[in-house]
Amino acid sequence: MTAVATPVSPMLVRLAAEKATGALLRDHGTLYLVDGRVVHAESPAAPGVDVLLTTGGRLPREGWDEAVDRAGAHRAVGRFLVDSGRLHDGELEICHLGAVFDAAFFALSPTSGPTRFRYGVGHWFGTVRPVSAEAVERETVRRRELLDAVWPYASVDSAPVVPRPAAPGQTVGARQRALLAAADGERTPAELARLLGRPAFHTLLDVRRLAAAGLVETPQEPEPEPGPVPPPQPLLAAPQVADPDIALLRRLRDALEAHL
Amino acid sequence: MPGIDECLLEAMALPGARGASLVDWTSGLALGTAGDSPVGDHETTAAETAELARSAAEFDSFVAEGETPSDGPPVEDLIVTTRAGYHVLRFVETSFDSSVFLHLWLDRDTGNLALARIRLKDLAERLVLG
Repeated sequence: MTAVATPVSPMLVRLAAEKATGALLRDHGTLYLVDGRVVHAESPAAPGVDVLLTTGGRLPREGWDEAVDRAGAHRAVGRFLVDSGRLHDGELEICHLGAVFDAAFFALSPTSGPTRFRYGVGHWFGTVRPVSAEAVERETVRRRELLDAVWPYASVDSAPVVPRPAAPGQTVGARQRALLAAADGERTPAELARLLGRPAFHTLLDVRRLAAAGLVETPQEPEPEPGPVPPPQPLLAAPQVADPDIALLRRLRDALEAHL
Repeated sequence: MPGIDECLLEAMALPGARGASLVDWTSGLALGTAGDSPVGDHETTAAETAELARSAAEFDSFVAEGETPSDGPPVEDLIVTTRAGYHVLRFVETSFDSSVFLHLWLDRDTGNLALARIRLKDLAERLVLG
């Protein structure tokens, strides 16, 4: 319905308009386009289709490896998985679309690094269900806003997930229970996503929901932003908060204000 | 069967069908859509129905005795009736970790809720089992 006001990647908008085919390389991932539409995406931050399919045991690792061996050179691994009876069409589409939007979210994250486009480069997985670049942009913006609407503290995204005891009578759903059970105090959301075979964004979102519910610690110090050097601290900088009670009160105040 | 589009087209062939979509209830993403949205925007409808589905999927009260989380969402479907229509949300079980459901919006006068519920169950199974 609504067009993206500020595109997350002006280059992607331009490539979509000129119906380009190739690979869009950014700091945190790569988008593959065919005729201006997004057919695949990869990011080191997001588990690939292979992880999603093999972790839960849907596909044995050897089945995946064989598909890559046999069909990778023809850029038709997805098709091969279906044609050889390893997967059904619907499963492939659900899993692949989930992985594409997941990787695209990270690939399109704000970056100061260069964005390059290699014309003609395709991905060995092949085309499954192309998505318009506009839909990918729109969804990426929606996901950013969703994370902040749930719990506006990005520090939980990259820090180790540390569970906190539930309040008396507080319950948590099965998927989040599984996430908490795997959180050993050291694994980050990205590591938990890989371990559980779930998309990374879904894990981030669940961690933010759990943090908002007080079931996961919210680190006081945000992770330093990679990229541009922060401006020098003004002389009258806010005092560093060391007392956890003050930090808690501040979080409470911010959360309350966010809901006013 | 076929992929997401064929599945949604079959759903749209049901009497009174006005809109159909396949939605991820963790993120609120519409993986596929057909027909109309009650608010004129499938993405908004997907985000809203996802919240409803997520609540239902995660409330302990709907878990049957003896079920474990690995059995998939405990809820089979959700039905919302309004003065003008019906909404049927059918959870899709996959053998990899996912959180998707089919949403069918029916006209109240021409839709057949009982039939739609049975067909949607069948569609949800064929979508992943072929």
